[in-house]
Amino acid sequence: MEGTEYKINRLETTNLVGPMVDRHWAGLREAKQRNEIVAWCAGPAIIWPYAMDMKAHFMAGYAAYCAGRRAGDQVLEVARRDGELDDMCSYHRLHTGLAAAIRDNIPIKEEVVLPLPDVLISSRLCTEMAHYSEILYRTMGIPVINVDMPIPCKEEDIPRLEKFYERQIRESLIPRLEQVCDKPFNYDRMSEILAVSKEAAQIRNECWEFFKKKPTPWTLWDYGVGMGMLFYMMGNPETISYYKKLKEELTERAKNNVPAIMPDGEKYRVMWDGWIPWAFLGKFIRKLSSHGAVPICGRYPWETAFFPEPEKIEPEPDPVHNYCHIWYSGMKGTYHTGPYGGVERIGELIEEYSVDGVIMFSSKTCRMWNLGQREIVDIIDKRYNIPSVVIEADMIDSAMLSDAQIDTRLQAFFETIDARRG
Amino acid sequence: MQEILNKFSEVASNPYESILQYKETTGKEVIGCFPMDIPEEIIHAAGMLPVVMWRSNEPVTWGHAHVMPYNCAITRSFVDDAVKGKLAFMDGMIFSRQCLQVQDLPFIIQRNLPPLYVDLLYLPSISPETHEPARDFTIEELTRMKKGIEELKREKITVEALNRSFEVYNKNRALLRRLYELRRKNPALIRSGDISMIVNSSMLMPKEEHNDLLERALSELEKRQVPTDESKKVIIIGCLCQAAPLDVVELIESLGMRVVDDDIYVGARYLANDVETSEEPIKALAERYMRREPPTLTKADWENDWSDHVTDMARRNDAVGVISLLVKFCPPHLAYYPHLKKRLAKEDIPELLVEMEHEVVSLSGIRTRLEAFAESIG
Repeated sequence: MEGTEYKINRLETTNLVGPMVDRHWAGLREAKQRNEIVAWCAGPAIIWPYAMDMKAHFMAGYAAYCAGRRAGDQVLEVARRDGELDDMCSYHRLHTGLAAAIRDNIPIKEEVVLPLPDVLISSRLCTEMAHYSEILYRTMGIPVINVDMPIPCKEEDIPRLEKFYERQIRESLIPRLEQVCDKPFNYDRMSEILAVSKEAAQIRNECWEFFKKKPTPWTLWDYGVGMGMLFYMMGNPETISYYKKLKEELTERAKNNVPAIMPDGEKYRVMWDGWIPWAFLGKFIRKLSSHGAVPICGRYPWETAFFPEPEKIEPEPDPVHNYCHIWYSGMKGTYHTGPYGGVERIGELIEEYSVDGVIMFSSKTCRMWNLGQREIVDIIDKRYNIPSVVIEADMIDSAMLSDAQIDTRLQAFFETIDARRG
Repeated sequence: MQEILNKFSEVASNPYESILQYKETTGKEVIGCFPMDIPEEIIHAAGMLPVVMWRSNEPVTWGHAHVMPYNCAITRSFVDDAVKGKLAFMDGMIFSRQCLQVQDLPFIIQRNLPPLYVDLLYLPSISPETHEPARDFTIEELTRMKKGIEELKREKITVEALNRSFEVYNKNRALLRRLYELRRKNPALIRSGDISMIVNSSMLMPKEEHNDLLERALSELEKRQVPTDESKKVIIIGCLCQAAPLDVVELIESLGMRVVDDDIYVGARYLANDVETSEEPIKALAERYMRREPPTLTKADWENDWSDHVTDMARRNDAVGVISLLVKFCPPHLAYYPHLKKRLAKEDIPELLVEMEHEVVSLSGIRTRLEAFAESIG
């Protein structure tokens, strides 16, 4: 509708996320004060220290937290002054910046100062995920546990990569963790974490169903702010309560036909491919909603880290095997990250959620979700007859974002959707 | 001597023509190996010509539609060449999982080129704690690569053929090491641009032919008498998959500095490690991949400190400066650079960062920085 003034109608339940996130990060500081062992994790590795009842800091989760506290640029500036170059992954720079701030007593926002870890764990899904551990080992002497987790190019590569990944977990990561913690690996605790995750993910999936409704009662951003529930807060029973409350609110909205954007709901249903732009959530949702567009799904928020197919979680009898399996053959999260699997996954989401167009958020410093994006744009156009647009920016670093360029591209993108609608 | 150098230069500066000519003359298949870890010996043992992929000198044009502008020079240039049809003479291409940008390439190639043999090797990190699984997995990957090449060739690759190829390649590495040793002893003996072309051409032509030419060149070089050089000794380092740009190397040496050694792939890294002939040749290739020296930034060997290696190299060669050649958007080098810079400063070894993009048209900025560096060292 020409001239319509759209307004975002945020869910009340998402207000619960902030305090839970604060408690999570405060827990790390308290653990350190109690002299407990703390880990920093890059890639999908957090379940392993959690099974040992360690507190753990997830790299991308910390980035989202920093961004939420508007401290991202400040910590990146510390990294820059410490010698980091701007083209390096901003997640990496954020952590070397934090380490430098602690080491040299450089003041940064107090709430984003977290304790340095006793061990660094890398699950090398992206080859660059190992670098920050290597560098922190080099500069701070913190020991590393690194496990390779290759992204399968072709579907036929999956079984052998799964076998290799599981072997590293059993023969390297678990024995090293046992050494660090001086106790045996707690398989029962891992089963409990998976059981809680399964229940939370099942309810979350019921929430996802509401994205199929037209108009949608919530946006991808409403989901995105609580994504950490199933990842760095995995195994916490509060996550089940959170998704129950979320479902109640969505049910109520759906019953009363209350849309995610006022006054009448979305004009365009878009898929958001790539990282969630943690530091620019408000900026992007305002840009999109000004056109009447709502992001409703995405490859990253649907990836295995967040258990999109909870029925495949089998906490018993072998949680280690099950976790390795779901990342490869089970939920295929590793495969979907690559371009061949990415095309398949994007296609499934386009059809499942009746998407009008795809926004490819291409991060300038982390290329994990960029693989094949330029080609995928063309494939989607031919296969589904819907347009895509590539937006170049970053998850955290505001220096990498150009408003004018993004506005022009979005304008053209929505005009293309209009033109195809005829 | 000049005649031999001209031959190396022809091959390195126009590999498209020389490889095509070779293919037409011999009828042998050509397999492109993306830098830096594909074992060319397996392809050679199958009677094919392995060539290491290169960065073209043309600006990227068609490639923009396929690859992000913030990918590194060689990945963008390679895609550009491929979609323009400039690599149509290749019968196959093999990549390895050394960084995210390379993992993009098989998809782009298979989507845009006529059907050809494409493989991606998932060569693992060589972190100390995962040594056993990584070694076994490397053996599996190399066995799979061998099988793929056998299927393409429709012929088994024998243990004897592999060992023969190891000998040819080991000989080439030994000759190149001899060349490096000569330069270390007397950097004025040969220009570093020539050394770069010699190593680069070795990646692009039959090794046997390269060995013959290089043997002749070495025997002439060893006889050469040159006056003592007063230039300041420097080393060049980097994680670049491509050859160091010739104009930058020549610029360094035109400003009163002399490259005495290097730690780059189209350089000392390519000739560092031999493969032992063995009854289990694939295992021998895997052992070579797992070797920790020289430290390789793409292999996540976190205990192994690159700055130790660079410091030792500078000290060993009495170098008065280190020049870091950083290809823009190269994550491994970006990650390690801050630590390396601090370490060299601590060791009182002057260091200069030269950042390079694919489409650099003016060298004036680089010249200014190099001039200032040359004045400040020694």
